[in-house]
Amino acid sequence: MSAYKKKNENDISSSSSGSEVPDKMSIYQDCLKTFNESPISPKKCRLLLAKLLNILTLEGYKKSFTTSEATTLFFSVSKLFQHQNNDSLRQMVYLVIKELSSISEDTLMVTSSIMKDIQSGDNLIKPNAVRTLTRVLDETTAFSAERLFKNCIVSPDSSVCSASLVSSYHVLPIAETTVKRYGTEAMQAIFTPKKVSTYNNNSSSSSSNNNGDEGGSKFYPQSSYMSEYHAFGLTYKLKNNDKIALMKLIQNDFNSLKNQFLKVEWIKVVGELIYKDSSLFSNFEQLLYNGLYQSYEAVKLEIAKLITTLIVDNIAPVNDQLFGSVLEVLKQFLVVPRTSTRFASVRLLNKLAMVAPTKISVCNPELESLINDKNRNISTFAITTLLKTGNSSNIASLISTINKFTHDVSDDFKIIIVDAIRTLSIKFPNEWNVILQFLIDSLKNSDGGIKFKNSVVDCLIDLVQFVPSSKESALENLCDFIEDCEYSEVLVRVLHILGDYGPTASKPSLYVRHIYNRVTLENSIIRSAAVVALSKFVIINGGNNASADPTLAKNIISLLENIKENDVDDEVRDRSAVALECIKENHPDLIKSSKTFDLSVLESKLTQYVTNHEFDSPFDTSSVPQYSEDERRALELKRKQDEINDKNSGDFSSAGKKSKKTDASTKNNGSLGASSSNTTFEQRAKIIHEYTEKLYEASIIPSDGSSKFGKLLNSCGPVPLTEPESEFVISAIKHIFQNYIVLQYNIENTLTDSAVENVQVEVNTNTNKTSNLVFDSSTIIDQLMPGANEQCYAIFEKTSESIKEEEFSNILTFVTKEIDPATQQPFAGDEGFDDEYEFDPLLLTCGDYLQPLFTADFRQDLSKLSFGDSCVYNIKENITLQQAVDKIVLNTNCLPLENTQFIMDESEKHILKLFGKSCLNDDIKIGILIKMIKSSKGIALKAEARSNDQELCSDLVNSLI
Amino acid sequence: MGNYFSSIFDRLWGINKDVRILILGLDGAGKTTILYFLKIGEVFNTNPTIGFNVETLTYKNLKLNVWDLGGQTSIRPYWRCYYANTAAVIFVIDSTDTDRIQTASKELHLMLKEEELQDAALLVFANKQDLPGALSASEVSDSLKLVDLKDRSWSIVASSAKTGEGIHEGLDWLIDVIKEEQLQ
Repeated sequence: MSAYKKKNENDISSSSSGSEVPDKMSIYQDCLKTFNESPISPKKCRLLLAKLLNILTLEGYKKSFTTSEATTLFFSVSKLFQHQNNDSLRQMVYLVIKELSSISEDTLMVTSSIMKDIQSGDNLIKPNAVRTLTRVLDETTAFSAERLFKNCIVSPDSSVCSASLVSSYHVLPIAETTVKRYGTEAMQAIFTPKKVSTYNNNSSSSSSNNNGDEGGSKFYPQSSYMSEYHAFGLTYKLKNNDKIALMKLIQNDFNSLKNQFLKVEWIKVVGELIYKDSSLFSNFEQLLYNGLYQSYEAVKLEIAKLITTLIVDNIAPVNDQLFGSVLEVLKQFLVVPRTSTRFASVRLLNKLAMVAPTKISVCNPELESLINDKNRNISTFAITTLLKTGNSSNIASLISTINKFTHDVSDDFKIIIVDAIRTLSIKFPNEWNVILQFLIDSLKNSDGGIKFKNSVVDCLIDLVQFVPSSKESALENLCDFIEDCEYSEVLVRVLHILGDYGPTASKPSLYVRHIYNRVTLENSIIRSAAVVALSKFVIINGGNNASADPTLAKNIISLLENIKENDVDDEVRDRSAVALECIKENHPDLIKSSKTFDLSVLESKLTQYVTNHEFDSPFDTSSVPQYSEDERRALELKRKQDEINDKNSGDFSSAGKKSKKTDASTKNNGSLGASSSNTTFEQRAKIIHEYTEKLYEASIIPSDGSSKFGKLLNSCGPVPLTEPESEFVISAIKHIFQNYIVLQYNIENTLTDSAVENVQVEVNTNTNKTSNLVFDSSTIIDQLMPGANEQCYAIFEKTSESIKEEEFSNILTFVTKEIDPATQQPFAGDEGFDDEYEFDPLLLTCGDYLQPLFTADFRQDLSKLSFGDSCVYNIKENITLQQAVDKIVLNTNCLPLENTQFIMDESEKHILKLFGKSCLNDDIKIGILIKMIKSSKGIALKAEARSNDQELCSDLVNSLI
Repeated sequence: MGNYFSSIFDRLWGINKDVRILILGLDGAGKTTILYFLKIGEVFNTNPTIGFNVETLTYKNLKLNVWDLGGQTSIRPYWRCYYANTAAVIFVIDSTDTDRIQTASKELHLMLKEEELQDAALLVFANKQDLPGALSASEVSDSLKLVDLKDRSWSIVASSAKTGEGIHEGLDWLIDVIKEEQLQ
């Protein structure tokens, strides 16, 4: 106690220094004194309690009082229970105990007193009492409150019922069985309307405006029906894991519900059930449809949200009528004054725009007006949604609308817009003119920081790389830009691009002049970059190309010599000296290498090299794949298109994943196939790379490449060969070597109770004609435990160089042994029994010999190829155009050009353009133009291929699908 | 207005304070039953008290604040939090529970040593006299060594909360003692 007194003295000194807020320790002392008085003064106590509450809530529990102080406080507050018939004091007592209970010990001391209030107290204090009771109960005392909670739930008073329901929810973690015993009462409370009682305010004497009934009804509405919402929350929590019980609950009459939060929650549960089992959707269609015409905004939005996610995640088919009503509702909400509603609505439309851009366009006028919305988030969503709905016809007007608006927004926001424009430029290469104009305008506009300018330059670089027709115009504008650019970093990037693309343009001298201007005017960093850019002009124009301009090269060399002599900066002089030497000694690769390494492979190889400490031998770069400029661009374009695909086409791969998660896998036959064909290019490349590494690890082939196999030319796959839910999940990768073919089977044992041993794949080439392949050897997996995943290989030797279509029939042979559940190992001495498992045959087509290749001008390149062939297909299977396109792209291994791998707007016609090259000979190229029409009978395809190799041309065109 | 007069009246009698009385004892002795018998005059089925019950009642013109504290082992340590300003303690003994009468005795003497209770009068109820096998008041008194108590007004009364036997008799004695002390 002496400690407290000391503190008190300090407090007196501090409070005398004029602080207005009463000190917590003086309040502490006051409380102890006042609450122990006899008789107590209710008014004084109430004021003190209010001050105490203020400290507790303002300072946070931890900081306000120590545990022993809080406990002392708690006991003195508990003495106020003797003061009966004063409800407003009692309410304050409850509020304070509730707050104290988190720091004080021994709070269970008030349990009996609270219980008495709940049993026989006034309805005014009952809710407070119930809420406080949950704070003081623990595992050992919770059961004793069961009857009290139950009685309160069936109470006709809304706030008593709510308090008990919410409190039950909170005691669930410590007393689930207790709460479950009155689950029925909780459920009935959902459908039982409760009243808000109007209180006789006599006891709260401090309120002067005691207006009686009229004032009461003004502040207390008839009922908010909040207890129904709380009852639903508790019931849901109790039945969370019981699907059938939830179904039963949800089948009650939705329209009779009165509380809007309850309705929102109701819809959420409906959504959850549909996600668990999509076949239930039809049961709820009518409910959702009717719900869209409810009066509550929140309910309408929740339904719209559910339907949107169902469409986007491809969970259940949504009919046009329902979709139309959703759009109608969202469209109305776009113009309401409430910001949050507008935001929610535009956000949902943005999601819908990913899957059904044409349908969204009915909302375009409203969306356009939202571009100037006061709320930035709304305007951002409006713009990106509009851009998604854009098509080649309205893109120009869209961009001009945006242009007007971008001037008065922040940089972060502009960057989002530029990003959206960038995806547009790849999606609609023909509209480059408008896009370029927009980008140049934003570049030249004086405002905008370095990040923004950088993103614009990024976008321009994409244009230059992937939209060849825009190249000259874009480069010229970039030249103008660097004349007046304050950011060195951006300048250096632009110089680099000019160096890469300027020399092959029609008037290289123009760029040289602009670059040289930088040398005379800018700082050393920019000068160095300019020197490198200039030297690239010499390399390309000094060669033996037809377009070479020897005078230009000579002029640049003299410029470089001038720099080498006169520049003040070491780095700049060094670079020009190196460049001149390279030009003289004819080492163009040092300045502009024609090939780049596959960076991810290079990185992993280098890491391996460093960690293995094999520094005796130099690092071998020959095992790292290299790409030429065109190949690199092909990869990059593919990657970017995949990004757009990920963003725009409703993310099929994730839908695949989700459908795997749901139990209804039978309906999603081949979901693995679908998802694997939709995994992005990069992911596929990574998977192939991983499996190729395993090939080396298993020492099937020596990693030095000196073996009889020859060089690894191409790897394709993985091709799924079983259903994803079968007992063995098998996929295969085809590795094509110079002299051999290696089939890598990836086998997963999905059985839980048996291990398999001596696993081998019996592979037979069953081509009717004579095969070009001779079986060499295969490997055996010794043991495959449940859930394990191993590879086994079959190796074939090629007897001729020529490419031929092969079909391999596959039978898995193995010995099954049961697992001892105790040891998780096969029973000792179990000999097992032989078994075999036949799975889908694997095809080796000429597509497996192809690699994607980028071309800037498909039409022109196609006309250069001498041989042509064509073929007509009729696909009877019921698949969509997109699925057909995906399949063809996977089978041919060619690069889809001009975004033709995406079917826009559910159209019935499509043209697919593919380009690739042979992995055997880089000079053999092939282009395919496929026209497709979907009708009720299926899909009709007409494929025209052109190549400089006649055999390849006809082989490929005949093995598209 | 009635309140106003009664407070003047109280002052005339020199009684301006509520009288604070604690009911203590082991669990199951009948403390809560006694409290509500006093308050309402009827016998209820009670649950074990977790914490305390407090009631205000008027007895012979005296306003009593009667605190009934739970008797479970886990709650006994908190009795001392409520000792301050106590005029009297009613200690209730289950006369049939011969096994635990020593425990009760220990708790009683421990409590009476507390400084805050030096001036408090002690009334012991030898409760549950209606049940067969109940010890008589004098037997209980011996077990509790009540004769050893010095400087304190004390009394022991045989009672049954169920029938009401002895309760008012005990309380009457207690009120007399309290009035006497307050007049001094």
